[in-house]
Amino acid sequence: MGSNQMLRKRTVWLLIIILAIGFGAVITRLAFLQLVQGEELQRRAIEQQLSDTPVSAKRGTIYDTNGKILAQSASVWRVVMAPAYFDDGPDGDEQREFVATRLSEILGLDKADLLEDTKQNTYYVSVKRRIESTEKEQIIELQKQLAEKYQKSGLISLLDDYKRYYPYNELASSVIGFTGSEDQGLWGVEYQYEDYLAGTPGRIISAQNGIQTEMPFDYNQNIGAIDGSSLVLTIDETVQSIVEKYMKQGVIDNKVVERGVCIVMNVNTGEVLAMASVEGFNCNDPYAISDDQKKKIEAIDNDYLIKNKYTEDPSKLSKEQRDELIEKAKAEAESAALSRNWRNKAISDTYYPGSVFKMCTLSMALEEGVVNEDSRFVCGGAYQLYNDTIHCHNTAGHGSQTYQECLWNSCNPGFIQIGQLIGKEKFWQYYQAFGFSDKTGIDLPGESEDQFFIHDGVEGNMFDTDLAVASFGQNFSITPIQMITAASAVANGGYIVQPHVVKQIIDADGNVVKNVGSSTKRQVVSESVSQEMRGIMEQNCISGSGSNGYVAGYRVGGKTGTSEKLIDVNGDGVDDHIASFCGFAPANNPQYAALVFFDAPTAGNYYGSAVAAPVFASIMSEVLPYLDVVAQYTEDEMANIDTAAGSYTGMSIDDATAAVAADGFTVTVKGEGNSVLSQNPPSGTAIPTGGTIVLYTDNTTQVDKVTVPNFVGYSISDCNNIAAYYGVNISVTGAASSSSTAIAQSVPEGSEVEPGSVITITFSSAGIAD
Amino acid sequence: MSTIEQTSRRRQEDYRRERRASSKKGKRKLNFSLLNIGKGIDIPFVLIIFVLLAVGITMMFSASYPVAFYEIGDSYYYLKRQLIFALIGLVIMIAVSFVDYHNYHRFAAVILGISYFALMLVLVLPSQAGGVHRWIGVGMFGIQASEISKFAIILFMAHWGSRYYDRMGTIKFGVLPGAAVFISTAFLLLLEPHYSCIVICALLTVLMMYVSGIKIKWLAIGAAVLAVIIVLLWVTGALTYAMERMDGWGQALNPDLDRDMWNSTWQTRNSLYAIGSGGLFGLGLGQSRQKYLYLPEPQNDFIFAIVCEELGLVGAVIILLIFALLVWRGVIISLRARDRFGKLLGIGLISHIGLQVILNILVITDWLPNTGISLPFFSYGGSSLLTLMFEMGVILSVSRTSNIEKT
Repeated sequence: MGSNQMLRKRTVWLLIIILAIGFGAVITRLAFLQLVQGEELQRRAIEQQLSDTPVSAKRGTIYDTNGKILAQSASVWRVVMAPAYFDDGPDGDEQREFVATRLSEILGLDKADLLEDTKQNTYYVSVKRRIESTEKEQIIELQKQLAEKYQKSGLISLLDDYKRYYPYNELASSVIGFTGSEDQGLWGVEYQYEDYLAGTPGRIISAQNGIQTEMPFDYNQNIGAIDGSSLVLTIDETVQSIVEKYMKQGVIDNKVVERGVCIVMNVNTGEVLAMASVEGFNCNDPYAISDDQKKKIEAIDNDYLIKNKYTEDPSKLSKEQRDELIEKAKAEAESAALSRNWRNKAISDTYYPGSVFKMCTLSMALEEGVVNEDSRFVCGGAYQLYNDTIHCHNTAGHGSQTYQECLWNSCNPGFIQIGQLIGKEKFWQYYQAFGFSDKTGIDLPGESEDQFFIHDGVEGNMFDTDLAVASFGQNFSITPIQMITAASAVANGGYIVQPHVVKQIIDADGNVVKNVGSSTKRQVVSESVSQEMRGIMEQNCISGSGSNGYVAGYRVGGKTGTSEKLIDVNGDGVDDHIASFCGFAPANNPQYAALVFFDAPTAGNYYGSAVAAPVFASIMSEVLPYLDVVAQYTEDEMANIDTAAGSYTGMSIDDATAAVAADGFTVTVKGEGNSVLSQNPPSGTAIPTGGTIVLYTDNTTQVDKVTVPNFVGYSISDCNNIAAYYGVNISVTGAASSSSTAIAQSVPEGSEVEPGSVITITFSSAGIAD
Repeated sequence: MSTIEQTSRRRQEDYRRERRASSKKGKRKLNFSLLNIGKGIDIPFVLIIFVLLAVGITMMFSASYPVAFYEIGDSYYYLKRQLIFALIGLVIMIAVSFVDYHNYHRFAAVILGISYFALMLVLVLPSQAGGVHRWIGVGMFGIQASEISKFAIILFMAHWGSRYYDRMGTIKFGVLPGAAVFISTAFLLLLEPHYSCIVICALLTVLMMYVSGIKIKWLAIGAAVLAVIIVLLWVTGALTYAMERMDGWGQALNPDLDRDMWNSTWQTRNSLYAIGSGGLFGLGLGQSRQKYLYLPEPQNDFIFAIVCEELGLVGAVIILLIFALLVWRGVIISLRARDRFGKLLGIGLISHIGLQVILNILVITDWLPNTGISLPFFSYGGSSLLTLMFEMGVILSVSRTSNIEKT
């Protein structure tokens, strides 16, 4: 081969290598990157080209039924860092050190963690959320320092953020719930309505160049945050406050170990006006436990370890092992304490309803027509059923009773017989119809299921003994919310309503998103049965076992209940009880029902009539007037108590004194003037006949105050004398018989009130053992 | 059919002619008249150069204006300079095309000497960014010593391969001179250091040897020796700098990079983002987003990434086809050259262009480590553009003697 030929040939090969292989490889590579990987690469390119800043959405407000704010988000700030702006090398290290040190000082965070954050290679690290304005000022100062010292801007920025405030702290805590560190609802309606409340966080997307300043051409997209919707609850702050006031007092007075529950519900709509699990938590500080709880946790020792089966013999363990166990026990005890505080007992606890359930049993019997005017139920103090003897609380026996008397006497043997007339199958059917077998579906988290009799795996398959005890509310468990829903049905004409706590959802612009109306699930008993039950239960509060629940001026129907817990909660060697009372008012046209429930009262008397009924009466005596339920006094009551005070302002002293006397009140004149400038109580206030009206004739003496005396423990007549002596008026509620004693007063002893102010006193008659 | 004697005689004549061509006496009267620009040089080759230069400068402007705006404050900074260099370059190209390339034949050894001198000179001059010694002169008037070296190697190999064309089969003439020139040059480049240039020099040396007609087995042995040398350098740690540059090679898209790696792969990663963003048809001329300070120095080595982003795969392939056309035409010119020196010189120079294009794109697509290999006609840079235009002028000078029908 000639050398020129070889050159030509080799050149052709070279050309092939360069063009075919070289350029071929290059084009293949480009095609792979642009066509196969193109989408992913473009996505990543856009990711860095667009700056994406999240914008927090403002969480919706929670209002009570009258528009009072129960939970609200206030503006605070979030600190974010863009560590990618730090320089490389020793300069950068110095900057990181400086920033981490200052941030840890200002925000109280761990410096090592912050230093770790500064080494990330991103433009967005959330440093701390919800800083207040004092911290914010310091951060702004730090930003200035960074700009001066290192010519760095954008390293640290502040974004809008929100913090949740609960103006009423503990009020209705188990209903409202609380939010977590990321503003997410964790409990209560905060959790249940998270989707509505949370809103949608927004983003600010802007095109930026490689050094994170905006591009010369504008590309800016602002997806605004959509603020969360607000909730209007059915809860009434005033009613809730009244309820919690008396429930707390009831828990203290009766040494209640396992907290108290009260639900106030509109019987016709299912709106829950108040729902309290007292000894709850502070919504603003849900992770705090009470001092008592702290003390108990601190006191954990070897005995506790043995008792709670952490170990059989602590002395066999080394000190380290024992300390470890104690630490573990303490941690577990603390988390148990927290979940106890958070627990919404009104829907989460199941309990034996006890005698309160008798209203359901009797309704069933009336609806089925198995009892009539001629039916008689004999009680000899105990009832023998096969091998079991079931005692009545009245061991002497109630003798021969009508069905009404069975309820008034709260007679267990009587109800066993009524139950037998109903029969197991019907009983189970009505049990289901009253809604006990299903969750009520109330719009709150944590609702529990009932526990009814199960034999051979079939729920509702009852034995004879089951029926016997079930007819007076024992040996099956339901939740308080189920009980009050069933009681509402007994009162409202037989309709099972849907209990709910949210009545309206309103979006950030004020438009109504959703209205929660009342909904009725089914009718379980007829209107006529309901009407008869109303009568029987009203009578029960007048003369029967429920008389401690009587509210003066109102027609109240109700039933007491005392049920066995079958466990000993306080360790005194005796099984504890649940004292409850469920009632409604007005009895002729029921509007509101209330269930009061004390879990394990240990102050001696554990009967519903003694523990729960007076609290019910106290609550209703304040709640019903507030809710504008028209008072309907009996003739006796009209005769001696509670007349509306007239208006005496503007009259001359003589005319006024005469007018007050004509209205049946005694008069006290204060001041040096000639005519009445003001009066206390104001006109229209209901005060007992013979009560005191104070007339002021000048402005100087108005500051006089009366120190409220103690009424608790005195009879009605004693209380009247004390009130007259101190110049205040009393309003009587509860069992107002001659044997009654005062068990609570609406204004605590020692408070200062104006002369003539009305103090509501709740009386309870002793000796009702149910 | 030629006899052995005839062949032998023809070889001797060829040899005499080649010797004559490299001497003063052999200078021929060729058609190097100033009035004969169009007729003498290869017009298609010139047209391709014009197209590449026009497209290249347009894209360089598009890629550079955000950087120029942000860093210098004048969006046209790079464009203005590149246009001036392109005009000077064109003048140089035409001028050089009138210079009889046989002059280089005679001065090959001298130019090689200048190359060595330049390589040694940069070592004593102050270093540039990154601690490397590459540039002679400052700013607009600077030149990379390696630009001279590459031309010097091509020239020397063409000179040697044509002068001793009949002895290329021997080690003494075929292998050793080329190896000696390469190794000495590579040694000096190692001190700069400038690894990508060593690679290009190696490729150029080998391809020149190959075309000149050395035995294939020597190439194979050479490849083996090279491999051994690389391993040795690796072991002795002389490749530290290169290793640093190679750190993160092929890992640009790895999401879990620590900060150092993140920074060292930043340019490559953003190059890939740019290329990928282009897709089939690109974002449109001037519409690149990656040039907004994401891709550092988009006007230099990574300009083709911006081209891919703005013009897409279609635009990129068309530009590569124009480059291929240039290489093709360059090879045709070379093969038709009147003498062996012209052939070898032309092939060497045009292969250099082809290699630069391929290596440049392999770098920006993360198939080769990020080293400084510019894209001819596209990358910003005065001295490299002027060097390039000078080389094009040399090829055109060869084309004046080519047996191509002139239009």
